[in-house]
Amino acid sequence: MLYTFMVYIALSIFGIGLIYSLSNWFRLTVGSNADGTTTGNRISAAFKGIASILNKEKLTILGKVFVQDILLQKHIKKQDRLRWIMHMLIFTAFMFLLVFHAFDKIIKTPIFNRFYLSMNLWLVLAGLMVLTGLGVALYRRYILKVSRLKTSGMDLYTILIIAAIILSGMLMEIIKLGSYDSYQTIWWLHIFLSLLALALLPFSKMFHMFTTPLSLLANAVMDENSDPANIATKQMMELDACTHCDTCSKHCSVAVAYDTLGNDNILPSERMTFLKEYVANKNISTKKLAAIQQGIYLCTNCDRCTVVCPAGINLRELWFSAREALIQKKLPVDLMLTPFSYFRGLNHQRIGQKQYDIPLATVKNTLTSGDDFSQATLDAPIVLDHGDNEFQNALGISERTESFNYCFSCENCSTVCPVVINYADSQQSLDLLPHQIIRSVALGLKDMATGSKMLWNCLTCYQCQEHCPQGVKVTDIFNKLKLISIEDHK
Amino acid sequence: MMKYTLFVGCNIPARVQQYELAARSVANRLGIELVENQEYKCCGYPMQNSDNKTFLMMAARNLALAEKEGLDMMVLCKCCFGSLKKAAHQIKQDAALQKEVNTFLAKEGLSYSGKTAIKHFLSILFHDVGIKKIKETISSPFTDLNIATHYGCHALRPSDVTQFDNPVNPSLFDDLVKVTGAKSVEWSLQLECCGAPLMGVNDKLSMDLAGKKLADCKAANADYICVGCPYCQMQFDRIQNLMLSERGQKQNNEIPSIVYPQLLGLAMGISEEALGLKMNMLDITTLESYIQTETEN
Ligand code: SF4
Ligand code: SF4
Ligand code: SF4
Ligand code: SF4
Repeated sequence: MLYTFMVYIALSIFGIGLIYSLSNWFRLTVGSNADGTTTGNRISAAFKGIASILNKEKLTILGKVFVQDILLQKHIKKQDRLRWIMHMLIFTAFMFLLVFHAFDKIIKTPIFNRFYLSMNLWLVLAGLMVLTGLGVALYRRYILKVSRLKTSGMDLYTILIIAAIILSGMLMEIIKLGSYDSYQTIWWLHIFLSLLALALLPFSKMFHMFTTPLSLLANAVMDENSDPANIATKQMMELDACTHCDTCSKHCSVAVAYDTLGNDNILPSERMTFLKEYVANKNISTKKLAAIQQGIYLCTNCDRCTVVCPAGINLRELWFSAREALIQKKLPVDLMLTPFSYFRGLNHQRIGQKQYDIPLATVKNTLTSGDDFSQATLDAPIVLDHGDNEFQNALGISERTESFNYCFSCENCSTVCPVVINYADSQQSLDLLPHQIIRSVALGLKDMATGSKMLWNCLTCYQCQEHCPQGVKVTDIFNKLKLISIEDHK
Repeated sequence: MMKYTLFVGCNIPARVQQYELAARSVANRLGIELVENQEYKCCGYPMQNSDNKTFLMMAARNLALAEKEGLDMMVLCKCCFGSLKKAAHQIKQDAALQKEVNTFLAKEGLSYSGKTAIKHFLSILFHDVGIKKIKETISSPFTDLNIATHYGCHALRPSDVTQFDNPVNPSLFDDLVKVTGAKSVEWSLQLECCGAPLMGVNDKLSMDLAGKKLADCKAANADYICVGCPYCQMQFDRIQNLMLSERGQKQNNEIPSIVYPQLLGLAMGISEEALGLKMNMLDITTLESYIQTETEN
């Protein structure tokens, strides 16, 4: 009686959770791809999408993905054998237990009948396999300390609950023939834990047993030209498909920036965690916004994360959607004035003109003096080798940025600069020409030196530096000025 | 046998795969062994203007990995090349900095002393392989083909750091083109920037600069522009393609861009697929029509 009651409770929570998660997929968005479409539109778009793949060619692709990536998980094996062994142990044994043990009322097999009264060797064996897998998981996280592998509360919960279920089950098998009382207690414990895990499944990392295969299948038949409504839905599903395995962060091209800057959001797997929360509530504090903007813009779009993600998540497109949405939020993103913007420029046709221009204008207005250029204050002294920071001091010397002292205003630098040459009215368009920036530095006019449009439109082509008869490190000084200006605006 | 550790950077595997493909095919033909290292990450180039410490650590980590392999580095991208060189230069000048870098690297069990030589692909072909040896492998030289060589800023300058070639009158790339039988035309904007560093920052300026260069080499009668850098290639291939549609330039005004190992590979008789000719956005398969038909004489 109590047992049946518990099962129903667990199933109801599971059901509600499932409906909640599914409704999120069709209600919420990561970016603005589905602006103007209702939940109803998205559901019907999904049905249309599914109908369109019911042909031989697409079904063959899906079949192949099912066998290779979902059952055999070949892509994990290729990257990391140990992880593959870990996952295969847990996956196969867990599936076995689910089908032949948890559902044994529904699925009857002759192999088990023999063990009716004695210890069931099959169950114990499967339990041992799961435990070994979990052991490997713990070993990777705590002893091997795979670099930049972060363990969240959810990761730990998943490992612990599975371990508890298996251990209680095995204990139950072992003492089955001994004391009846303790068998009863353990049986209740085992049932309770299993039902708890079931009830919480849609809210936990274990949900990936549904979503990850779905993501793998969806990405095998979808690309960036698919219906935007379906892309938005798929991206929501992908957030649930992420298992926080950290494969992306391990391979991420900019992971070193996480080591120096300490901003979690630089790591793609942590960005996924952020996005999961963010889609439900898009009002975030300025501090959080600044951190995620830096994290998501500090990306070379190298595609590695997408290539390696074992859940088959199209991270490239996910970043694209999330980045566009996050940089629209008024706060200036200084990284937009660096080569990290190349990818965005290359894809500008995919972004609406206004949406494209606004965040760029925001950061330019913040870092340049804008229309007030002529009024830039004349008294703030410039400090090129920033005071007490030993590291920056050292850089000042190795780059010889103090060489501005040797400038004798010959204007060579401005004559050879391709940016200056490009404008008929260069003085108006650029505020200052390169030699004038060097002059302002020499005069200690910090705001002038850092606020001109010339500085932020410098190509770093080094023509000026190469042609300076006095050996002034013009471009290196400009780079340093940008660093100082960005630092000052933080 | 020459052996290098290959550094491809971020753009090539994602957007200019043909460059790596062709470079490997050509290297293979020349008996150059390329060792792969999956551990390499971003060279630091895009961080230079926003965080110098991060830039340095990114670059230094790659250099330390190469040093661990005990091999010289072959770099395909000129911006990667420039930034690795710059970082090596900064660290070399400054003992305190070297110490700081090594403390950082020690966390991953790495260290950097400056032993590894950083070499751009074109330098390796010119200096380590040599024009003479390349010449021996040319089986289908071009004829009547005019090529405009684009040197690329970050390899050439600042010359005291990069030491790639003479910064005002370079010749290495032209010699490499000439050995294929093609003519290297003279054009006035040859050493100017392709505009890539400002793409996404000031698109109009970036496209103006690229457009000027393309018009200039067209005026010098070049049939193709030839590059040795993924940024330059994207600029003259994908961005030129955008410009053709957005700026309403006439189609017959286009001048396709080719990465150098594609050009060299064709002259070596390597197949179109192994050079990824079809992976370029603007059609370059027409290049094959410039190959001399009677190669026997
Ligand atoms: S995005 Fe993919 S690779 Fe990254 S943590 Fe999630 S599942 Fe793993
Ligand atoms: S695309 Fe961005 S997030 Fe993904 S691996 Fe490359 S740098 Fe990291
Ligand atoms: S070229 Fe050198 S000396 Fe001449 S103005 Fe420029 S920085 Fe000064
Ligand atoms: S490095 Fe900057 S200032 Fe110097 S010539 Fe190039 S664009 Fe002009």
